[in-house]
Amino acid sequence: MAAEELKQQLKKQVIEFLNLTEMKPEDIKDDEPLFGEGLGLDSIDSLELIVLLHREYGIIIKDPKDGRKILVDINTMADHIEQYRTK
Amino acid sequence: MFYIHQTCCISPQQTYTDPDINMLVESAGNKLTVIEPSCEGIPMKVLRRMNKGVRIGVGAALPLIQGLQELSGIIIGTANGGMEESILFLNQIIEYNEGILMPGNFVQSTANAAASQLSLLSHNKGYNMTHVHRGTAFENAVIDAAMMLKENRRHSYLLGAVDEISGYNYKFEQIEGWYKKEVVSNKHLYKSDSPGTIPGEGAVMFLVNNVKHNALAKLAAITTIHSENAMTVKHIMEDFLTNHVLAEGNIDLLLTGEDGDNRFEHFYLQCEALMDSNVTVARFKHMSGTYPTASAFALWLACRALTSQTLPGHMIKKQGSQTGYKNILIYNHDKGKQHSLMQVTITADGVHGKTL
Repeated sequence: MAAEELKQQLKKQVIEFLNLTEMKPEDIKDDEPLFGEGLGLDSIDSLELIVLLHREYGIIIKDPKDGRKILVDINTMADHIEQYRTK
Repeated sequence: MFYIHQTCCISPQQTYTDPDINMLVESAGNKLTVIEPSCEGIPMKVLRRMNKGVRIGVGAALPLIQGLQELSGIIIGTANGGMEESILFLNQIIEYNEGILMPGNFVQSTANAAASQLSLLSHNKGYNMTHVHRGTAFENAVIDAAMMLKENRRHSYLLGAVDEISGYNYKFEQIEGWYKKEVVSNKHLYKSDSPGTIPGEGAVMFLVNNVKHNALAKLAAITTIHSENAMTVKHIMEDFLTNHVLAEGNIDLLLTGEDGDNRFEHFYLQCEALMDSNVTVARFKHMSGTYPTASAFALWLACRALTSQTLPGHMIKKQGSQTGYKNILIYNHDKGKQHSLMQVTITADGVHGKTL
């Protein structure tokens, strides 16, 4: 899957998993921070994103410190998925 | 027991803003689902995690408690809580072999999600209790509020009930025979003469305390009965009427939860037979549908009847000879097993000029 295609798919999944019903994939920029500013997600959302990575791409994040590096924005999530996906 | 000062109701009828219960909203697909208002006042970040039950519970409560300084606690009755989310969460446990699970579904699946969300949104750190006694969940919340107010005479509580139709639960209860197999409109519910009823849902909230002045109504007495035996229910009803209700004067309106299920109609007929011939008999389940905490909707209607002194014609089963309402008895049961009686009376201040 091409990187752009993966990012589009990931944005749709983020919207679906986090129930961001008011958002469309094009509303999320690739380098927009997921937490704090930007999308303004919180700690429960981070758990939902970890579940997303596990269920959709077979990636298990065991160490929360890794999560902080991976769940920065769509770019970092997509990079990690490309590198470690098992499905 | 206590006085009711403000109410708010989200139901399948137009009860939220500019209530108009004269026009009966018709059921669709053998269900009566709530008319959901827009959830202004709830941050989008919070709203997106709310399931329907929590959404309507919070939606009905917020207008009563926003900006209120004197709220002592929140007491909610719900039989099923966020049932839809509960089942989603349970299915995940099986589907993912007890592995990594979505926390959002878990957070919303607890029965006390509405009460706790209200506490967070209103910054209320007082008493916070959710009663889950199935068909008498609301009644137990009422009893809790009455006991709290007996011990704390100056307190005010948010008292309410919420239950939703969950897709999964609807299927289970349909298989168990609780809902009608044939297509029946709520407009013809009482003529259906067949087993089962039509499901409903709703959220009703009340602000209650011990202050008589400016109250909409007084909740004067309550009892719950757990029995499938008609004679047992009858004896407890007779005792309740003798010891509590008639002490406040004669009943002028009996509001029953008759729901078109011909297997359990005899309970309502039995209660009607205990009333004097001049008592008006009215029904409400064609408006709310049947759900475990529907008696809260009946209490909302009783408050409305006491303040407006009228009821729409579609509610009346038998018009009594007395005019006006001062002393209302609500009788409801859930699945023929859990029964409740509530007596609601007029307050001197509550007749004129109050709207719900």
